Amino acid sequence: MGALAGSGLWRPVSALADAPTLAPHLPPLREEDALVAFGHTGPITDGGWSTAHDKGVQAVRKAFPKLRTVYVESVPYSADATRIFRQFVAEGANMVFSTSNYGDFIKDVADRAPEVAFLECDGVTVTGNLGWYYVTHWYPSYIIGIAAGLMTRTNRLGYVGTFPIPSVYASANATLLGAQSVNPGCTMHAVATNSWFDPQAATQAATALADSGCDFLCGITDEPAFLRVAESRGLKAAMWNLDMRRFGPKAYVSAVVLDFASFYIDQVRARLNGTWQAAANFLTLAHGVDRDAWGETVPQAIREQADAMRDRILGGYNPFRGPIRDNSGTVRIPAGTVMDDNAIYQWDWGVQGMTGLG
Amino acid sequence: MSRFQRFPTASPRRILACRAAALFVAIAIVGLVLAACGRNVGELGRLVLISTIGSRFGLEDLALFMSPLLLTGSAVTVTRRMGLWNIGGEGQFYLGAVGAAGIGLFVHGPAILILPLMALAAMLCGMAWIALPALARAFAGVNEIITTLLLNFVASLLVYWLATGPWRDRVTGALASSGRLPVSIPDMWGVVHWGFPLGLLIVVGLAAVMSSTRWGYEVRISGASAGVARYAGMPVKLRIISAMLLSGALAALAGMFEVAGTVHRLQGGMADNFGYLGIVVAVLARGSCLAVIPAALLMALILDVGIVLQTQQVAATAVLAITGLVLLLVAIADECAHYRPVTPAIVRPARSAS
Repeated sequence: MGALAGSGLWRPVSALADAPTLAPHLPPLREEDALVAFGHTGPITDGGWSTAHDKGVQAVRKAFPKLRTVYVESVPYSADATRIFRQFVAEGANMVFSTSNYGDFIKDVADRAPEVAFLECDGVTVTGNLGWYYVTHWYPSYIIGIAAGLMTRTNRLGYVGTFPIPSVYASANATLLGAQSVNPGCTMHAVATNSWFDPQAATQAATALADSGCDFLCGITDEPAFLRVAESRGLKAAMWNLDMRRFGPKAYVSAVVLDFASFYIDQVRARLNGTWQAAANFLTLAHGVDRDAWGETVPQAIREQADAMRDRILGGYNPFRGPIRDNSGTVRIPAGTVMDDNAIYQWDWGVQGMTGLG
Repeated sequence: MSRFQRFPTASPRRILACRAAALFVAIAIVGLVLAACGRNVGELGRLVLISTIGSRFGLEDLALFMSPLLLTGSAVTVTRRMGLWNIGGEGQFYLGAVGAAGIGLFVHGPAILILPLMALAAMLCGMAWIALPALARAFAGVNEIITTLLLNFVASLLVYWLATGPWRDRVTGALASSGRLPVSIPDMWGVVHWGFPLGLLIVVGLAAVMSSTRWGYEVRISGASAGVARYAGMPVKLRIISAMLLSGALAALAGMFEVAGTVHRLQGGMADNFGYLGIVVAVLARGSCLAVIPAALLMALILDVGIVLQTQQVAATAVLAITGLVLLLVAIADECAHYRPVTPAIVRPARSAS
């Protein structure tokens, strides 16, 4: 796994960073002296996002048996997050990961603790001791979208969203664009539940989407509630985070699956070696993020057609190319231009055919 | 032989003693459970003490926790004096944050002018949010517990809508938040802002108003017996409305302190249950304004200990259970304080066994 270090698979994003990548200034640490802390947005038993990050934490523990690690679950997106990160620092943490975006709540703490390395998942800010990392989930979403476009009968896709933020726009837009690439009549209906982990709200949203005629559900929740709805209503569903097919084997099509183990081990090793730099990092397709193995009910022809796109993307192809119109019909990405990862990462408008995400 | 009898009142000293015993029992139970789970309780206890009252870092966090609790706690206490419950502190807190953020984001000027304007806008928004329940209570007898509670959900969704819609941040790309407010309440001590001493001052001022003004007297009489107050010619309906408006303004001011002092952006979830915790603070304070201060301190301590325990790998749900245990035992202690041993003056003849 160490072979990944410096091989360029964590693609640094210099354009987004408001500070240039700074020279390492944190001294090396002995493994047995170091404390690495993780703040999770949900419970590590959510079976999705936080479980995926916790698998990364377990990989770190295995790779560095003498290292001390601590974690806190269900860190709220409020001033309580600041208190928890401050407490990590007070207890002597040398490195703090937040496995979700905490914005100012983590930056305020990082600014007051320059001797501690901070890494924020889905962050936007890079300072001397605060960097961020994220998965380019829009590529597997596009691949899954192709399967969705081929499998839907009603041409209405349902999206169980959380908050109208760029990751959600990117995920929903990519799926819809993938579907439209093989089935131009596809539309998508999105519902925001205002929570990453609220199985009850996700179930209600999925039921409402199914009632309105959507026969393919996708979304970005941390848990599998809408897969159960799809299974019981005889629909199809594509998930996020981990293999969740046991919650709905007939409905399961695929998922955007995450694997943070190599990245976390890499970053912790760099911190221990004294070579850690605050940077912006994208985990790319097949290196931290991918589509899951296809579900049992996905026909072979559809698997092959979608995987052909996966091969093209791995070969360097970018499917996010103009013309792309927004949901008012205005061309936002003109013909002949592509949206790079930075642009997709900051996506804040819905593509043509999208309702529920303005 | 003496036996226990319930008395209608209990002296503050007795209540304090019973509560201290309750806290001791709670700590003992938590300690035993943690020890049974194989935790080093002594080490955990030492860390909790250092991280809360034993270090400057811990004291700063306590003060930060206290400042909204002082205001939401006194908001509920004001309505308790009137014999009413304002369960809508959470919603008024949100509306206060909306009013303050609206001024902060869209009116530009020196902080010395903008901050009072933000506070004023916050209080007006909080009063507007409680106005409907107040009028419905005063003129139609509609249960204010239900109306104030339900408006909380509307307020929370309003904030989510503003923070992810029209007011969302387009400058730094912060997620599900408004832009950062250009002005903030200055820091006084470390991360503690001036909202903390101001909150203390407001509680003391409120106690003075309650105990030594005609308005406070009329509110207290109306709360004790509306019939007596009416017979004495007091405008009970007006007192209901004014007490509830004041309550809404206090909770809203907590929202302004939080948005301008700690969070600096309007965002969903920022109320952090401070509105609901205000109810707990008011119950602990037993309707006394000054007692809101120690009650808020106890609540802040419980919340702060919860965070320390979480970083020590005690699950968030266990922390919630500990909070519930403490409050349950305190409630039992309050009731126990009303019982005193009495020795019967006349020794009755022993009853025959039956």
